[in-house]
Amino acid sequence: MASGHAGKTLHRMRRDNAFYLAVAPFLLVFLVFSVFPVIFSLYLGFNRWDGFSDPQWVGFENYARALRDPVFQKAIGNTIFMWFWSTVLTVLLALVIAVLVNDYVAFGKSYFRMVFLLPLLVAPAIAAIVLRMFFSANGGIVNLLSGAMSGTPSYFDWLGSEAWIKPLVVLLVIWRWTGWYIIIFMAALQSIPRDIYEAARMDGVGRWAIFSRITLPLLLPAIAFATITATLGGLQMFDEPYVLTQGMGGTNNSATTLGMYLFATAFTRLNFGLGSAVSWYIFAAVVILTLVYQAGLKRLRGATA
Amino acid sequence: MIGMFRNREKRFNLLITLVLLALSIFFILPLYWTAVFATRTLNEVFQFPPPLWFGDNIVQNYKNIEAVFPPFRPILNSLIVAVPKTLGLVLVSALAGYGLARYTRAPGHKMILVVTFATLFFPPSLALIPFFLQMNALGWLNTYWPLIIPALASGFGVVWMYTYIGSTVPKELYEASEMDGAKGLSTFFFVVLPIIRPGLAALSVWTLISTWNDFQIPLVVLSDGSKFTVPLALTTLSTTHYSDMPAVMLATLMGLVPVFILFGLLSRQFIAGLTAGSVK
Repeated sequence: MASGHAGKTLHRMRRDNAFYLAVAPFLLVFLVFSVFPVIFSLYLGFNRWDGFSDPQWVGFENYARALRDPVFQKAIGNTIFMWFWSTVLTVLLALVIAVLVNDYVAFGKSYFRMVFLLPLLVAPAIAAIVLRMFFSANGGIVNLLSGAMSGTPSYFDWLGSEAWIKPLVVLLVIWRWTGWYIIIFMAALQSIPRDIYEAARMDGVGRWAIFSRITLPLLLPAIAFATITATLGGLQMFDEPYVLTQGMGGTNNSATTLGMYLFATAFTRLNFGLGSAVSWYIFAAVVILTLVYQAGLKRLRGATA
Repeated sequence: MIGMFRNREKRFNLLITLVLLALSIFFILPLYWTAVFATRTLNEVFQFPPPLWFGDNIVQNYKNIEAVFPPFRPILNSLIVAVPKTLGLVLVSALAGYGLARYTRAPGHKMILVVTFATLFFPPSLALIPFFLQMNALGWLNTYWPLIIPALASGFGVVWMYTYIGSTVPKELYEASEMDGAKGLSTFFFVVLPIIRPGLAALSVWTLISTWNDFQIPLVVLSDGSKFTVPLALTTLSTTHYSDMPAVMLATLMGLVPVFILFGLLSRQFIAGLTAGSVK
């Protein structure tokens, strides 16, 4: 019977041989350049290795060492700050803009549909260069403006300020990513049948009630998607803070993210084991937050259904 | 009564539109100012009020950049990476997406599909360090291979093509093609590929633009300044020639132009690519 089953599978495999031909290029590259590195990184996380001498098995030492490092602790805090505020503000702003453009705009709908997307075309690194120019201490346009308004020339060092650097990163993320979520929310809004709104209006339901009782629940899957995507990006944030602080992490590591800590550990200090351990911490955070979101979504759906 | 209500609604909508208009300026002003500053002299840029319209110093600014680095080199480098990667990624993804969409009962189908979807939630930073070591072992560091070959397997690309093919190619077509005696992958190349051309275009634009903007992996892999792609080269330029703001702005603008041209030509496809992930 077992051999009969195997024979059937074999027969099917032969009949569908084109399937294996079709997925083979993808699978091959995927196994060699994605699966293998990930498995190797698991191994690396338990070793001390500088890339030259023999790797040395250290068990969980790398994981413990990272936790003891004050810079790593700071990076956790910074990452949480940037992830949280960039996700909340970007998704919220995009939601508001999408609903307003979709339902309330009096003219120029196609302009609004396009304009918020343009920053998305700009590489995060390039956007950071432009932001650096605008916020530079000497003759940056922001200082020029604030100087003109207060009457005394301003030379405030925004990028060197421990208090301002993180909000600047968040501002950069908002500027670049809001357009994407707007597009996603607009696509979701367009799939809501118009007669639901008409019916609600006929019954005299107010604007806010229409939004909170009809639009919002129907947008929930899109909001969840946007939040998860923003979280994936936020937890690994690298390009923006790296370029804004010219790779240094800002004054007193005030903008060092987990991604930057990983990068510096591996590629400047050549501590590949510790770096790999950090990458697994990031992975754990992504998994935990994704699960939390899914649980939250399920609960919300249950509440509205 | 109803007329008054309508009027109030109209005024409300007008107000909303004006607020959005102001907000949209915040989104385009940095880009607009980059373009304006690129045409101004150093003195004009530091004036108050800042210039709001284009100047006539663009040629001098260009000469200033040219004196310190070849401005078209990074653009060429980015093209050398982005074009072959995009062609390969789209073909590999379309093939795998076709296989997954058509042969739903082939042994192993489900596992491959689940794994492919799961990759969407895998943080790329997990593979960064071993990836670097692997490229080192292969002798590929400081070449373009690491940016092209490993990128051919894209979970996003496969999921996107799988969804697209599943929704646009009718199953009957496969049966008809089989009746005609199509063998192996000939159905894919002669029947499916021509039908899914819009999907291929959307994935291509999306891949081209995101490759153009890639920063971290090129940063890890490339060390020779003459091989730098656009974001890397500009980051370096902006730190070494920080004081000449108009020149840096012009170089930045030049690095942005190819993407904006592409977007201008294929914005519809780009937007289709953006929403592909969210609509399931």
